[in-house]
Amino acid sequence: MRRIAPALVGLAVVVLVGAAPAVLSPFLVQFLINLFMLAVLAESWNIIGGFTGYASFGNVAFFGVGAYTTGVLLTRTALPFGLALTAGGALAMLFAAVIGMPILRLKGHYFAIATLGVAETMREVVYNLEVTGAGTGLVMPISRSPLPFFYVMLGLLVAATLVNWWLSASRFGYGLVAIREDEDAAAAMGIDTARYKTVAFALSGAFAGLTGGVFAYWITFIDPDAVFRVITTIQMIIMAVFGGMGTVLGPLLGAVVLASVSELLSTQLVALAELFNGFIIILVVLFMPRGLVDVLATRPFSLRRFADNVRAYRI
Amino acid sequence: MRRRAFVTGSLAGLAVGSLPVGRAAQAADQIVLGSAISQTGKYAREGKFYVDAYALTVEAINKAGGVKVGGRPYQLALKLYDDQSDPNLSVRLFTRLVTSDRVNFLLGPYSSGITIPASAVSEKYEIPMIQGGGASGKIFDRGYKYIFGTLPKAEFYFQSAIEAAVKLTPPVRTAALLYSNEAFDRSVADGARQWLKEWKVDKVYDEEYQPATQDFTSILAVIKSKGPDLVLVAGHVENALNFIRQSQAADVNPKMVVFTVGPPTADFRKTLGKAAELAYGITPWLPDMEVGGEVFASASQFAKQFQERFGYEADYHVAAGAACVLALKVAVEHASSLEPKKVRDALAALDVETLYGRVKFEPTGQIAMGQVLIQIQDGKVVPVYVSGKMLRKPVYPTPKWAERK
Amino acid sequence: MLTLQLLINGILLGGLYGIMALGMSLIWGVMNIVNIAHGALIMLGAYLTFWTFTLWGWDPFAALPLTILILFVYGYLLQRLVLNLVVRAQLFLTLLITFGVEVVMVNLARMFWSADLRQVTPAYAGANFSVGGLTIPYVRLWVFVTTVILSVSFLLLLERTRLGRAIRATSEELRAARLTGIPVTHIYAVTFGLGAALAGAAGGLWGMLFPITPIMGGALTLKSFVVAVLGGLGTMMGAIVGGLVLGLAESFSATYLGPTYPNAISFGLVVLILILRPAGILGRRS
Repeated sequence: MRRIAPALVGLAVVVLVGAAPAVLSPFLVQFLINLFMLAVLAESWNIIGGFTGYASFGNVAFFGVGAYTTGVLLTRTALPFGLALTAGGALAMLFAAVIGMPILRLKGHYFAIATLGVAETMREVVYNLEVTGAGTGLVMPISRSPLPFFYVMLGLLVAATLVNWWLSASRFGYGLVAIREDEDAAAAMGIDTARYKTVAFALSGAFAGLTGGVFAYWITFIDPDAVFRVITTIQMIIMAVFGGMGTVLGPLLGAVVLASVSELLSTQLVALAELFNGFIIILVVLFMPRGLVDVLATRPFSLRRFADNVRAYRI
Repeated sequence: MRRRAFVTGSLAGLAVGSLPVGRAAQAADQIVLGSAISQTGKYAREGKFYVDAYALTVEAINKAGGVKVGGRPYQLALKLYDDQSDPNLSVRLFTRLVTSDRVNFLLGPYSSGITIPASAVSEKYEIPMIQGGGASGKIFDRGYKYIFGTLPKAEFYFQSAIEAAVKLTPPVRTAALLYSNEAFDRSVADGARQWLKEWKVDKVYDEEYQPATQDFTSILAVIKSKGPDLVLVAGHVENALNFIRQSQAADVNPKMVVFTVGPPTADFRKTLGKAAELAYGITPWLPDMEVGGEVFASASQFAKQFQERFGYEADYHVAAGAACVLALKVAVEHASSLEPKKVRDALAALDVETLYGRVKFEPTGQIAMGQVLIQIQDGKVVPVYVSGKMLRKPVYPTPKWAERK
Repeated sequence: MLTLQLLINGILLGGLYGIMALGMSLIWGVMNIVNIAHGALIMLGAYLTFWTFTLWGWDPFAALPLTILILFVYGYLLQRLVLNLVVRAQLFLTLLITFGVEVVMVNLARMFWSADLRQVTPAYAGANFSVGGLTIPYVRLWVFVTTVILSVSFLLLLERTRLGRAIRATSEELRAARLTGIPVTHIYAVTFGLGAALAGAAGGLWGMLFPITPIMGGALTLKSFVVAVLGGLGTMMGAIVGGLVLGLAESFSATYLGPTYPNAISFGLVVLILILRPAGILGRRS
């Protein structure tokens, strides 16, 4: 019974959200598509960053690879979107696996900088190739209705969340957590750390790539600066951290809250929106590094928790 | 359990809070023009020209009685967002303008790079968009029906420059082509290659640079070593600024240097001061041109009004932006309706004289207009050459940096 | 002849790259903080130079000592009051917080100083001299000389003074340093202040050559990463060597491969170096 209740609630939520386009304004449908996208990205980052403890600062590389693969196929071949999208996700996954092999041997800052380097290199490569449109970018064929995008993104979100849930309860997932907590001990216990890490990285890349592919077709236009932005990776990270990295629903929660607040601000106070984002990042890191999930789950709820967080990390 | 409640609750709250309340309440008899324009970011400078141009023209039209549709006068209103020079954000904002704000018509953004995706939105929702900030042919070669532009084709930008160059004494024989890795400049370069071939000018250098490039010293070193007579630089204002400053420091002295953007704009000349002297530029419009008509009797009257209102000189960006608003006004009046499709057809058939010149669109939606080659002399913009006619002899060849005073 | 000119260009600019990365390397090496706000500090230094030049007519070189002082104090306070709170947290949390600081600084700059392009153009801006077919702009040469002076002074400070010894001790072994009575929190703050001061000086120098905008910092942070990785993360000499290497690599690749390639190459190099030889050119293998 205890296992079924959460699943039923989850199903109810999905059905409710799925029915939403019938009553929502077109503008809100667009907003939700964007929200789902950010949530998938946060959940996908969570796989390598939250569970495995390898904080990648370049996941946008996979998003971009997926976006461009799908984009190039849509603009230069007659492939239908479904196939182009699958190819985008597959190529991103492959890319993550291949680049992961050497890069996952690095730790801490080195790993972070290397992943950032990968993302920047991919941006520059795409900037230089004619097939990807170089600096001009790619314009997709026009799609009239936003509904397919809504459901595909929702589907990706459900899938990504389910993968995270699977990780939280499976041997493979426990292996990743073991790597995060103490990689040497995990290896000593017989876990093939290299393989586990690469699989996690590839999974993370696959979701990011699929999201990128959908994004390309949805937004109708991509250029290197649009799909290889450092800020996209930072958004993924901050949403996962804000919600609670390493948890199943944390990244999703973080995305919902932060994207909504950001959207609200950007219409009312454009100039202040970014400034606000900056302060949020600082405050979150200082006061709730374990995320909203942690804050909500702790009782009794008290301000001391925040103070403790602050005191825990300083010199 | 608590977490789940939170999530469900927030999603439900969103759903309730967003139940459609119908079309955004508009004042009676109002036509709303919407746009997302670069007010911050790398295009902020140029974006401001359009914000101000739109504002002044809307004010002037309203003061002159507004727009007459079927006998009734309508007032124009503007709804502007900041796209932060980001094509992505632009697409989302234009989608919002159409689906949420329900504006009547769209005014375009600045730069071809942003106009290309933004026009996909207007095409998707079949709302006419008219823009004065994107010149690349790529905007108009997709068979779209709802995009119109008042800037002449990018591919033709360097045509008058090259034509003039071969008619000078001594005529230009070799040229260097330098352009930014961006939609507009790549189009300009495509065209330039054609004209260079047509006029039998030897191209000794042909390179693309990243838009964010600030250091041109290696490029300049190579150009200096090849010693071309003519140097064509396609890029945005910041690129042109850096190029001139660094070519002075590196002592590079071609006989003629032409920029796609920069020289006609007062701000550019002021920032560079004496270093801008004798640089060549391109513009489809000058304030002392003998054109005028709709709402503004002449180009100079418009320029004067603009200077008084905003405190800086109007350039062709401003005029092109004003022309967009005027074109919409006339089209709506001709169509005698606010229906997007009818107005679109009226725009396609438009032929009206304005402060910007004759506004008439080709079947692709882009205006057909000549470009004037200008040179900066004594800090002023001097027209040198247009459509086959040498208006005034330029100071040529440009004296070396060391010899200039 | 062209080759020689490219070589000179690369070295002159490379010196500036080196001083730019020096501040980042210091903070990284001593405190293990990767300062994403580094570019924003450079930007601040550039604006200080611009305002003293525009409002009071100060020569940009003369403004450097003031810029260094102000950025030092700013960096000290930033570390002591804000960053110190997370200095021992997971690495990427410090990355995140410095990112937040960067966003705040850039947006405040935008709000107060607008996004307009600013330039510092003293009377001697375009002056140059020729020697044997090479053209050398005066400003670039003096900027290079200044970076040499700053680098040498800084290295001397690190090697020969008590403060320098304290900094090095703290970076080697935090607990031991504390036990020997070194006021670690203060030293950390001084280190960050020094890093900020170096960034500010780099900004002042950069502002003499290139336009200044609130968003100029992002690309410069990335460049500093490349330099630091190339030369050897956390080593001071490495930053300088890395800067020269990058300057030369950019100069030559822009010419012989095409101006759109230098960035692709520098980032690709970063990835390759981290995979093959993370210690960089001069770093120790740890």
